[in-house]
Amino acid sequence: MQLQATNIIHAYRQAPWRVQRQYVGAFLLIVIVVALISALYLDVTARSALAGREIQELQTEITTMQRLNADLETKLASLTSSSTMQQRALELGYRPVKPGELDYVFVPGYAAPEPDILLAAVDMTSSSPRLPEEYTESLLEWLDTRVKFGDTP
Amino acid sequence: MRQQYINRSLVLVFGLAIVGIGVIVQMFRIQNSDQAKIFLSQGDLYAGEFRMFYPERGEIYDRQGHLIAGNRTVFEVGVSLDEMEDVDAMSYVLGTYLNMTFEEVHDKLVNSPESWTYIVIKDYVDVETVEALRQILQQLDDANDNRLDGLGFKPHYQRSYPEEKLASNVLGFVTRDGRGYFGIEEKYNDLLAGVPVQVWVPRDPNKAIDIPKVPNGTTLVLTLNRDLQAKVENILDQSLLEYGANNGTIIVMDPKTGEILAMATTPRMNLNNYTDYFQVYDNGSQYNRSIGMAYEAGSVVKVLTMAAALDTGTVTPETSFIDTGSINVGGITIQNWDRQPWGQQDMIGCLQHSLNVCLAWVATQMGSPTFYSYMEHFGLGHPTGVDLSGEAMGRLKVPGDSDWYPVDLGTNAFGQGVTVTPIQMLMAVSAVANDGRMVTPHMLYAMLRDGHQYNVPSQYAGAPISAQTARTLTQMLSVSLEGESSDALLPGYRVAGKTGTAQIPTDYGYDPERTNASFIGWGPVDDPRFMIYVWLQEPQTSIWSSQTAAPIFAEVAEQTVITLNIPPDLVRNQYGSR
Repeated sequence: MQLQATNIIHAYRQAPWRVQRQYVGAFLLIVIVVALISALYLDVTARSALAGREIQELQTEITTMQRLNADLETKLASLTSSSTMQQRALELGYRPVKPGELDYVFVPGYAAPEPDILLAAVDMTSSSPRLPEEYTESLLEWLDTRVKFGDTP
Repeated sequence: MRQQYINRSLVLVFGLAIVGIGVIVQMFRIQNSDQAKIFLSQGDLYAGEFRMFYPERGEIYDRQGHLIAGNRTVFEVGVSLDEMEDVDAMSYVLGTYLNMTFEEVHDKLVNSPESWTYIVIKDYVDVETVEALRQILQQLDDANDNRLDGLGFKPHYQRSYPEEKLASNVLGFVTRDGRGYFGIEEKYNDLLAGVPVQVWVPRDPNKAIDIPKVPNGTTLVLTLNRDLQAKVENILDQSLLEYGANNGTIIVMDPKTGEILAMATTPRMNLNNYTDYFQVYDNGSQYNRSIGMAYEAGSVVKVLTMAAALDTGTVTPETSFIDTGSINVGGITIQNWDRQPWGQQDMIGCLQHSLNVCLAWVATQMGSPTFYSYMEHFGLGHPTGVDLSGEAMGRLKVPGDSDWYPVDLGTNAFGQGVTVTPIQMLMAVSAVANDGRMVTPHMLYAMLRDGHQYNVPSQYAGAPISAQTARTLTQMLSVSLEGESSDALLPGYRVAGKTGTAQIPTDYGYDPERTNASFIGWGPVDDPRFMIYVWLQEPQTSIWSSQTAAPIFAEVAEQTVITLNIPPDLVRNQYGSR
């Protein structure tokens, strides 16, 4: 009885349709793995392309904003030019001061403030734009970082 | 049956394998064929484009942070000829909005070379015009009308000067090819312009990161004070009218640092219309007379002669001189400006009355080698090194030169036969105002690049005289101004200075009716904060500088102390004693 059962199991294992199914299964597994990798690659590539496109658009936007900024700065300078301000002051009833009309007050430790343009220059060093590493590092570099430092960024 | 099935399957597999291999072989063959290389190169053409990135030209600010040279966006209006649908409609619209005739635009569009796919109709078109054209394009687009298809706009920067004429002689201008001419724009052109970069710009979004960042040109902060500059230019313009002078120059400088606070000269031009240059100026030296035009300055040079004489110990303030009205030097008779004898004088009197005979005697007492050595050390005949383009050197003849004669020692001593620029005189006399140390005049206060600020330090150009000599001479000049109740005096402030009236040399000798009127002065004498040079060319109401240049000095000094918040001497000394 036991021998018969063993033979049936053996015959079942060696059945041609079963061997074929194993081959088909292996082939399908390979196809699925390849499909998964392809899908993953496609996804990453699509994301990367989207990010790249976004970068291109942002770069265009930056250029446009810089131009607009330059335009506005120049326009503001025109509106506050020496001749315009003098004209506006006269229209508002002001007149040039004379030396005898000035009172001087001694303020210990007073220092005249620096112009805005010079103050801005000092601050700009710490806020210069920088592209995040996600956009620049390769997969191997990312793995290397994770191996060395774990998950902590 | 089974064998037959196997055979058929094998044939099918073999056949399919052959087909598959054939496909693969064909793929390799096509991809490596000559045609493939042509197709690849054609594909590369559309993969991106070479583009020249011009950095934004650096801006220029005055020392208080006012923008005096910036940039604004303008557009190049062009047409893609391949996409153009209606040449008549395009010609009509562009002609109307770009201030061109229909024929002009039509001719450009129709008669362009066959190989051209794009043609520029007009460049440097302002934003407002382009916005109007864009609105028309949008309206046509909404109505599915393609008559203006192919019309395009490319933005780029153009130099803009918000203050228009203000400090135009100092700034210079930038032409459409992006090059600076004259003044700061030319001197610092490389810094301001930055470095244009030509790069391959890929259309592949995955390669967006490859687009380089082109750093902007360096921003400059000048030592100029915009408000003082405006006041000084206004005073100069009024003075030219009042005294009937052809042209004029006024410079205000900090004698301790060499920082130029204001530099006004005539004529000026609106820098936004730089093409007016050829209508305004005959030659480049006229653009900024302060640095580009040397002239015989006359008696202001006596300051240098007296400085040399005091420094060598040839004379002291109390040295007595009997002025007989003339002196013979090198066989030639030299006379005073009024051709009169002034009798017994000390050195203060010689300066106060501006006696040519006395100063010629002083120079002869020093001797040629000593006199010319001092003049060389004062920088006469050499450029000052001021950071403005187009500086002239002037001329100081020295013994040994083919055109130098012994009489030149006497005439040079009172400023005749020696040519200088106003900036040279300021630098030379700064030694007197600055305890013997001569400063190099400069216009650049700081540079800003990549968020960093680089301040420009003051530079000393030597110490031709001692501190003691400088203080003594300052006192002498101050006393001499007070002694003659000069129009140069400024109530509340003690100032020192010297007039200079010089006849203009012609081919037939000196013209007694035409003069250059000059004045150099500084104050407050105990702590000099400003130094002013005034030059009027050929004043008509009076030929004398004491009646023209001297009152201008007082007016400029008054505005300078107000603008720079310099309290009167009395107030300053009270605070100083605390």
